[in-house]
Amino acid sequence: MARVTGSGATSLDAFADGSLARAVAGTKPGQAAEAETELYRRFAPRVRLYGLKYLRDRGAADDLAQQVMLIVIERLRAGEVRDPDQVASFILSTSRMVAVGLRRTEARREHLLVRFDSQQDAVSPDEWSIDAARIAPCLAGIAERERTILLLTFYAEKTSDEIGRALGMTAGAVRVCRHRGLASMRTCLETRRRP
Amino acid sequence: MTDARGRCLSFGELADYWTSDIPEADAERIEAHVFECASCARLLAEAEQLRAGLGALALAGGFQAFVTDGLLNRLARDGVRVRAYALNPGDTIRCSAWADDEVLVARLRADFKGIPAVDAEMRLPTGEQWGRSTDVPVREGATELVLALPATRVRSAPEGPMRLTLRASGSHAGDGAIVAEYIFDHEGAHERPLH
Repeated sequence: MARVTGSGATSLDAFADGSLARAVAGTKPGQAAEAETELYRRFAPRVRLYGLKYLRDRGAADDLAQQVMLIVIERLRAGEVRDPDQVASFILSTSRMVAVGLRRTEARREHLLVRFDSQQDAVSPDEWSIDAARIAPCLAGIAERERTILLLTFYAEKTSDEIGRALGMTAGAVRVCRHRGLASMRTCLETRRRP
Repeated sequence: MTDARGRCLSFGELADYWTSDIPEADAERIEAHVFECASCARLLAEAEQLRAGLGALALAGGFQAFVTDGLLNRLARDGVRVRAYALNPGDTIRCSAWADDEVLVARLRADFKGIPAVDAEMRLPTGEQWGRSTDVPVREGATELVLALPATRVRSAPEGPMRLTLRASGSHAGDGAIVAEYIFDHEGAHERPLH
């Protein structure tokens, strides 16, 4: 087994997820700190995205990421993850389980023990900042039909069927238009990306 | 997300993850792939930023688009200050934007029978074009189109009569024919008196 060490997170980039998980497996707290940090850096943002989809709340999504990664690291340390090569799948199933619990409880905003240093958190505020100033001209520049569909989809949260009925289009045509609008928006945002 | 042959999917397909009408099986497939694939996880994060950015922009009233009552209801629920005007063909209305208005809405009534889409053009008293939209979808049986404008843009428009013309478009036999015209006699921006 490859020994997972490094002076910082970047030096661990080359290691597969499974190698990192194996490095943590069966260790005591502190013995595989770098591998744990790298696993957190890789997966906490993905768990957070999962949380945003199902919990619809940024604070709750942050809590989910913290809780899930804490459980995963502890299960790895305890040697309870049967196949470390499938750690991604284990993290997803843990996310699903914990999210169900978070949805059920009203205590989702309760204070959680912060078990990781702030430098381990890969979800920096800047990464998640919403740059409406960049989005506005791009939205103004796309086709009228696409603009309407993007607003109805992502702000009003209407389904393709509902949008189709409102605009006199089929649901399939709405999805095609949405994809076209998103592609145009992404191209425009790329050109306006801050240096 | 990968398909059966293991290829990553498009930005549009990943963005579908955030929509409310994606089938559960598709969402689960996307999640499974995103937890395995770092580059798709980054792309999904980008799609989430765009979704959140569009929502923030809509909340700030920073868009101009033809919308539906569903979107106006959402703005109302979110506490956005909307001022609405309703016009029949040939109408002239006195209009103004107050300092605390965030979105101005024009309900443009007309006979749209047999017209699948329209082009809209707004001209200043000088004849200079102030805004233009093409290929605005019209559902069968519609009796009005709903145009939303950022109040900030309206406040900065010059005073005087502005003419909005709707013309038939969209592969219709009468393409280019005037469907309706409306005059907005813009009185400028108003401040509410302090008490």
